[in-house]
Amino acid sequence: MTITVDPAPSGDLVRTVVVVTGESDLLDVRSALRTAAEQVRLRLTATTKLVTAGSELARNILRYATGGQGTVTIEVSTTGAGRGVRAVFADQGPGIADLEEVMRDGFSSGGSLGIGLPGSRRLVDEFTIDSAPGRGTTVVISQWDR
Amino acid sequence: MAVGDEPAFFRQMIDSIVDYEVIRLDEKGVISSWHPGAQHLTQYTAEEAIGKPITLFYTDEDIVEGKADAELRAAAETGRYETEGWRVRKDGSQIWVSVVLTPIRDPDGSVAGFVKVAADLTEQRQQNLALRAGQQMLDGIADYEVIRLDSGGVVRSWNPGAVKLTGYVADEVIGRHVSMFYSEEDKRGAVAEREMAIAARDGSLEAEGWRIRKDGTRFWANVMLSPILDDDGEVTGFVKVARDLTERREQEQLVQRQRDEILELSTPVIQVWDKVLILPLIGTLDSMRAARLTESLLERIALDQAEVVILDVSGVPAIDSGVARHLLKTVEAARLMGTASILSGIRPEIAQSMVHLGIELGGLRSRTSLKDALQLALRMVHAGADVAELVGPRA
Amino acid sequence: MRMGPDLLVTLQGDLDDRAVEQIEQEITDQVARTSARAVLVDVSGLAVLDSFVARVLARLVSMVRLLGADATLVGISPAVAITLVELGVSLRHVNTALNAEQGMVRLRRLRDGEASRWTSHDDHG
Repeated sequence: MTITVDPAPSGDLVRTVVVVTGESDLLDVRSALRTAAEQVRLRLTATTKLVTAGSELARNILRYATGGQGTVTIEVSTTGAGRGVRAVFADQGPGIADLEEVMRDGFSSGGSLGIGLPGSRRLVDEFTIDSAPGRGTTVVISQWDR
Repeated sequence: MAVGDEPAFFRQMIDSIVDYEVIRLDEKGVISSWHPGAQHLTQYTAEEAIGKPITLFYTDEDIVEGKADAELRAAAETGRYETEGWRVRKDGSQIWVSVVLTPIRDPDGSVAGFVKVAADLTEQRQQNLALRAGQQMLDGIADYEVIRLDSGGVVRSWNPGAVKLTGYVADEVIGRHVSMFYSEEDKRGAVAEREMAIAARDGSLEAEGWRIRKDGTRFWANVMLSPILDDDGEVTGFVKVARDLTERREQEQLVQRQRDEILELSTPVIQVWDKVLILPLIGTLDSMRAARLTESLLERIALDQAEVVILDVSGVPAIDSGVARHLLKTVEAARLMGTASILSGIRPEIAQSMVHLGIELGGLRSRTSLKDALQLALRMVHAGADVAELVGPRA
Repeated sequence: MRMGPDLLVTLQGDLDDRAVEQIEQEITDQVARTSARAVLVDVSGLAVLDSFVARVLARLVSMVRLLGADATLVGISPAVAITLVELGVSLRHVNTALNAEQGMVRLRRLRDGEASRWTSHDDHG
């Protein structure tokens, strides 16, 4: 577990990186998401959804990535018309062969992937996934303060 | 000396000068030579000008002040007198001229006359004044940043408004790229470059976003970017006007929050009985309102410790699969909190269209009238009811 | 915590996966050992209930039923409820109540033969 924090000059938390190698790291991911959500003043329901989605995606890294390793980068995002929390879940695992299939509701590989991905997508404002065999998987989610 | 006294080539040379006036005056300031350039400047012909005093061209105020004499005397004393001022043309119009007077001396050193060279600076003067007025205006705009960037986005000018907005003084920014004011994330996303590209393409750009001050704090900026084009239509730079809208944005967010609160108030959850809540769904449900509704309902359940919730849809014109999906989600969420739901107000037409759409409400209890739904709810809340009747769907 | 023939379990804070499974094991053991008749699992202290925890809880409830006892999940907050539904996690087969008090009230009703099983499993509302 490694956490590196880049603070902005104004004192805002700008970026937290959690290296996911074990179960205790899931707690760090949830905690970092919570902190970022607080900073952006997300509503309770939006925060709960974000942290839950983050927990699902981080757990996917543990379960499905090679060596169960990956990184989660959490940022307070200040672009465009508002503030939000952006999190990137990246691993160098085997990748997903049929992305469309997996992202379709109701898919279950027998593990938690069936719920984790489509379910997580429903919980957040923005969701993109990039995955292919041999290329690992990167999921980027965002939750906005409206 | 009269016209024609100079050597021929001097005459030719003078005659070829059209943009300047180069004339000779006698020691008293009377015009003794003329040429096309002088005519071009003053509109007088040689016949009209030669033999007249130089005051011919001066304004009335200047004549009263004796300006011409003073200038000639100054030239005689110092050997060269340079000045700028208004002069009057034949048609009465005024021009702003630059004048150089130099004395012609006799071998004994006394003044025998003057050479006057004059040029029309009216246009330049106007431009200078405009420029200065423009700069003064920019300086006067203390609340707006109005700066110039070159075509690459490097800051080339600064103004007091920009200082106020960003905390940087001119020395600290001129020569640096405009992305210095953007957040790290925007820098990575090359937002500044994209904005300039769009401005160049569309002729202007208005954008809002966070910018960073010198002290590291953020402000919400409204930015207008306009390209500066040369005669060929090429972009040679940009004008950037920016203002701080942080306060306005905060107000907008406050208004949005208030609007949300009103939204919540306008979707009232009614407690009709101890432990029974009714949620009348009025009008069409957009997803934002739908989500708010569900949140309000669940919070009321927690607050009132409700055991039954009646979802009354008699005010909803149509139940499509989207509405149905949302209803079922709400019902399931309520169940997770230990609350049972009853659907009421499904009119026959609605029921029909739902069947057509293939919408299944599953085990969700349903009653056509609110009255029936209420009776069911009260039975459920009071102990000692018939289990068989309570459990199981009735569409 | 034992309340006569019943068991009240409170889950709190941010639990890692191992801790959750450990608790599941402990509860199952206790029910088996003490022949408890009802288990109340209070999750109001959990800020986040993801699919893993939900699955463990569902599994726990099944185990407890197999052991002849009744299990009720209480304290799911509005935010967690909405999140679980959006996530698509099914807790269909789990009895629920608003909080521990309500859970115990219902238990008593059940015991007293009253019909209050209408937020029971296999029930859509």
